Amino acid sequence: MDRKNNQLKETRTQELIRRLRYNKSATFGLIIVLILILCAIFANYLAPNNPSPSPPELFNALKPGFWSQKGIEGMPLGTDALGRCVLSRLLFGARVSLSAGFVAVGIAMILGITFGTVAGYYGGWIDAVIMRIVDIMFAFPALLLAIVIVTVLGQGLSKAMIAIGIVYTPQMARIIRSSVLYIKEMEYIEVQKAIGSSDRRIIFHHILPNSIAPVIVYGTLMLASAILDCAALGFLGLGAQPPTPEWGAMLSKSYSYIVSGAWWAATFPGLAILFSVLGLNLLGDGLRDILDPRLKI
Amino acid sequence: MKKKFISVLLLSMLFIFSLVMGSSASGTLVFGNSGDAARLDPADVTDGESISRMDNIFEGLVEYKEGSTEIQPCLATSWETSADGKEITFHLRKGVKFHDGTDFNADAVVFSFARQYDPNHPYHQYGEWSYWGYMFSDIEKVEKIDDYTVKIVLSNVNASIMTSLAMFTVNIVSPANAEKYKEDAFKYPCGTGPFKFVEWVKDDHITLEANENYWRGRPKLDKLIFKVIPDPSARLLALEVGEIHGMEYPNPADFERIKANPDLVLMSEPGMNIGYMAMNTGYGYKDVNKNGIKDPDEPLEKTPGYLEPLTKKEVRQAINMAIDKEAIVRDIYRGTASVAKNGMPPFMLGYNDEIEDYPYDPARAKELLAKAGYPDGFEVTLHVMPVSRPYMFDPPKIGEAIQSYLGAVGIKVKFYQVDWGTYLQETEAGLHQMCLLGWTGDNGDPDNFMNVLYGLNTCSIGTAGNYAFYTNEENQELLTKALRTYDVNQRAEYYKKAQELIHEDAGWVFLAHANQSAVFRSNVKGFVLHPTSRMFFYPTWLE
Repeated sequence: MDRKNNQLKETRTQELIRRLRYNKSATFGLIIVLILILCAIFANYLAPNNPSPSPPELFNALKPGFWSQKGIEGMPLGTDALGRCVLSRLLFGARVSLSAGFVAVGIAMILGITFGTVAGYYGGWIDAVIMRIVDIMFAFPALLLAIVIVTVLGQGLSKAMIAIGIVYTPQMARIIRSSVLYIKEMEYIEVQKAIGSSDRRIIFHHILPNSIAPVIVYGTLMLASAILDCAALGFLGLGAQPPTPEWGAMLSKSYSYIVSGAWWAATFPGLAILFSVLGLNLLGDGLRDILDPRLKI
Repeated sequence: MKKKFISVLLLSMLFIFSLVMGSSASGTLVFGNSGDAARLDPADVTDGESISRMDNIFEGLVEYKEGSTEIQPCLATSWETSADGKEITFHLRKGVKFHDGTDFNADAVVFSFARQYDPNHPYHQYGEWSYWGYMFSDIEKVEKIDDYTVKIVLSNVNASIMTSLAMFTVNIVSPANAEKYKEDAFKYPCGTGPFKFVEWVKDDHITLEANENYWRGRPKLDKLIFKVIPDPSARLLALEVGEIHGMEYPNPADFERIKANPDLVLMSEPGMNIGYMAMNTGYGYKDVNKNGIKDPDEPLEKTPGYLEPLTKKEVRQAINMAIDKEAIVRDIYRGTASVAKNGMPPFMLGYNDEIEDYPYDPARAKELLAKAGYPDGFEVTLHVMPVSRPYMFDPPKIGEAIQSYLGAVGIKVKFYQVDWGTYLQETEAGLHQMCLLGWTGDNGDPDNFMNVLYGLNTCSIGTAGNYAFYTNEENQELLTKALRTYDVNQRAEYYKKAQELIHEDAGWVFLAHANQSAVFRSNVKGFVLHPTSRMFFYPTWLE
């Protein structure tokens, strides 16, 4: 296919959007993610009820939603075992999950880019040491490592974010390192070296900007895993502490009521996790198709 | 050739199938438990899961009657108490044999007791013997008179000793078995009871089989298997499909589903228990000489969980008024409990029904907080139990409800959760500011609640039973006097007075007395719930 002629007139962003529009699953992912972000930002205005009323309205416990005669007005998705509005908690939960995801991936990016670039650019024994540490961290299953770190740091949402960030650092470091290894052999880097540019200038002005594409792709995919892992930690009681409306914790506190018929309290948080992870994965895959130079035709 | 192979395969499958079917038809009962046993030495456990297994393997000198805490003869046929009440002579049953074939006699009784109280006993090193300190420290020694007579000598008059002797702690173990396995004896339990131990697969199941030579006659069941299924929903599903025949701790939310199923029978009755939230009032003592009593040379000191506001009576009363127990019992216990106002169950000797409970009154609570100097509230950490216990099915939910109630009067509650073993260690050491806990009665005697949970003597940092660290000397005096008299009316008076003090000083928010419940398939007959939550399967059969 010959695209070069059209592409010359487009900026990178325009190109990105155009390509994204042709990719249906990525568009779908983008829509889900946008809805998620809107829910998180406007949770205050969208939520019909206080997600954690104080004192609690226990008399409302486990009431079904709009599909049943027994439901309560103003609680469209029913209530959980403590009589709280499931919909309101889901909306505020979006805020918790998204911010947890962004912070965790942010930490992973900062650490991963730093170590990955240093390892890739300088090579030698620095590279060997950093990469062996990365190998060691890879040897542990991600969630297990996160649990260990949370156990050391203590429980709580912020600790869970840090733990997940640390766990994802090695992946990020490897991705960056491989791009850096590839780019530093390019001729324009050699030119920079020849004219005597400092390492700092080469790294910040030439190598990093050119290796950022895979970071964005994997960052999006990681966001999905981070949300899932954060929910898993919440499910295990190690993440967000009550009364924070966190999806994983909502799920774990309600699944024992499925057998007795109150399926809604566990099902909706489960669906929320499912769709947000799905959305981010589709978007991430779409971005990879578009940005990854090796996949370009 | 191939055909032959298939037919052999089919035949052998049929054979295995008939074996499996055969065993269930002739009486194997599988019971679903929420957790595994910790140890199988009756003197060295405190947890209900271990005890429920051993109730079918071991027996004591006396035992509880079916469904009550009255005692009746068991391995002792009769006994006499001396005039001063300090010596009890037991006449032992003859012709009883342990599962390993050795004789039950006075030596076995002395062995089972002495290993717990005598530090020089060769088998003392193999256990912690914690219950001995809680309930049996008044026993000075146990002596053999002849092969079938023993004498228990008490250092003090103890009104609850006879009912305590029916507890698992003083069940009789086989000395020959202890000698054979030494420190591993707890893995190979050997008693005189209706069932013999077969195998223990950790965290999966414990299998027992009928004791053909049981002195009361062989049990009707051939095999008894305790299977661990931690999740209550999974347990119920296994029961519904017939994988297990009975289960403990059903989820109260599932009761309607259980009642609607004609194949299942829900057993439920008021339990002998109390579930509460304790507030650390600030001071305990170090029990240096480990005698379980606060001696004058053991001064009070701050507990690690000391929190200024909780040392004030008004604050603790305010917290009592800020929590709507009725709603918690109705919507979280889902009606499977009764609201508690005292620290022991209402059907017990000395229960003070005249005490008026703190009403749910957030406005008044706020006033009291302001009066105590905390108009804007304060921040406090709540230890929340990670496991379901008979007295509290779902502690995290109760914790969250309490957090929300206290938030409404300005008290900010932070959650704290750790694993169950650490939880008990930390609360016994007074690390908590507030904690959720409870107690299931062991012997039906009020002393087993009052003295263990609310006395000054159990404010010992590190081994506390009094988790509010309620250090009231007057209260302890009443409790000690009540234990030292056999006059039932006098005892009741002492306990009633003590409950008034406990109520006024408000170290606890007494939440609920939970019903104890179990579910069986309808072909299981003869099982009776016991008030102490113990599980005796001897009278049970399958139809």
